[in-house]
Amino acid sequence: MNAIAISGADFLREHLRARLTLVLLVAIPALFVVASASVLGEFAAALGGSVAGDSASALGAGWAAAFLAGALGFFQVSSSREADRRLALAGMGAARVAVARISASIVLGVLISVVAFLTLLLSTGVTHPAHTFVAILIFALIYIGIGTLVGSFISGALEGSLTVAFIFLFDAFSGPGMSDSGGIAGVMPTRKAADVLIDAGAGMGSPVGDWIAVGLITLGALALAAAAFWLSARPRST
Amino acid sequence: MAPNTGAGDNSTVRGAVLQASGVEKSFHRGVPPRRRRIEVLKGAGLEVRRGELVGLVGENGSGKSTLMKIVVGLLERDEGVVERSGKLGYCPQVPLLWEKLTVDEHFELFARAYELEAATASAAESLLGELQFERYRSYRIEELSGGTRQKLNLALALMHEPDLLLLDEPYSGFDWETYLRFWEMSERRRDEGMGILIVSHFLSERERLDRIYELRDGRCVEA
Repeated sequence: MNAIAISGADFLREHLRARLTLVLLVAIPALFVVASASVLGEFAAALGGSVAGDSASALGAGWAAAFLAGALGFFQVSSSREADRRLALAGMGAARVAVARISASIVLGVLISVVAFLTLLLSTGVTHPAHTFVAILIFALIYIGIGTLVGSFISGALEGSLTVAFIFLFDAFSGPGMSDSGGIAGVMPTRKAADVLIDAGAGMGSPVGDWIAVGLITLGALALAAAAFWLSARPRST
Repeated sequence: MAPNTGAGDNSTVRGAVLQASGVEKSFHRGVPPRRRRIEVLKGAGLEVRRGELVGLVGENGSGKSTLMKIVVGLLERDEGVVERSGKLGYCPQVPLLWEKLTVDEHFELFARAYELEAATASAAESLLGELQFERYRSYRIEELSGGTRQKLNLALALMHEPDLLLLDEPYSGFDWETYLRFWEMSERRRDEGMGILIVSHFLSERERLDRIYELRDGRCVEA
């Protein structure tokens, strides 16, 4: 195995060996999906939105994946910043550390999405499995970008996780189906992904334009994450 | 004692593996109107040659670790020149490790970074034996005592036999026997030609060191 594969596997192992992470990996999707059908619908009605039923459950699975991916993305950067920089200085280089970190993050994103998807499948059933899974994965990947970006600017665990939670809450409650607000809500990164996921939950297809938009947003988020990992690991000039 | 603000022209210093001169660094702390600038280094310079064991001492907050991080490349300097040659080994003051990975996994990771390949096993075996922590090789870092973490921290800096070894208070947490063994290891490597710079609080190790710089008022003074 080459250096990137070994370090990527180690970075992944680092998260999967944390028992609490594993518990949350199962508990958060269960909580979001099971609770979301009724609670999200009530919230949406109060905020002027219209999401309900299976669409609300599907959206809950997406938000569960987003929340977990955002938190893990943040801690991937903030908890190992100095150690990653030491490894880069030892000869690995910031670019290879960043590739290993982003690879581990994507694998974590896929794992999180699989758990959220399976929870949704067991809870309400899924009419369009591929459409639904990809939409959930998009939520996770976008939030990996948000979490790592926050982690590259904020090093404190409390401040950083609160910032990720704030972005998540604003994004979730101002998104499509949840409210009728325009303004900044219209430019939140998961807006199109939420449209796609609501369509999947309702058993409908999504317009090609929406898929192109979410594809571009996801690539942008991953590019941001890679840049954040690189910035974090890069040695300073000597 | 005269302030040493520069290490001189590189061509005139034979066998130097590290030369730093005129290094300045300040930090900004607080928010307006209480924002203030703290000057830590005001033109510090030092030099380490092959086969030399050099100490860097100073009071708490004098800037020893800041200078070390600048020399290593972990921190940007405001002004000055730093020149290194050969392979670098760095042992930070606080062990920079991954809590959930094992000792063996750390050796493997750093072996790849140093591109040691086939020599990995023997390099790791030798250091595990030398520092006497073989039995912990399958332990995760979170399961290790402070002293054992520090042994691994040191071993990772040494495993590729660097030309320049930078040690930032490397023996904090060591028991007396390990402390003595650390000095034996350092002296042996110095005799084999390694250039070593050790940051310490104390001047008590004066007799073990070839030269000592004291960091005072942001400048290095050769003691």
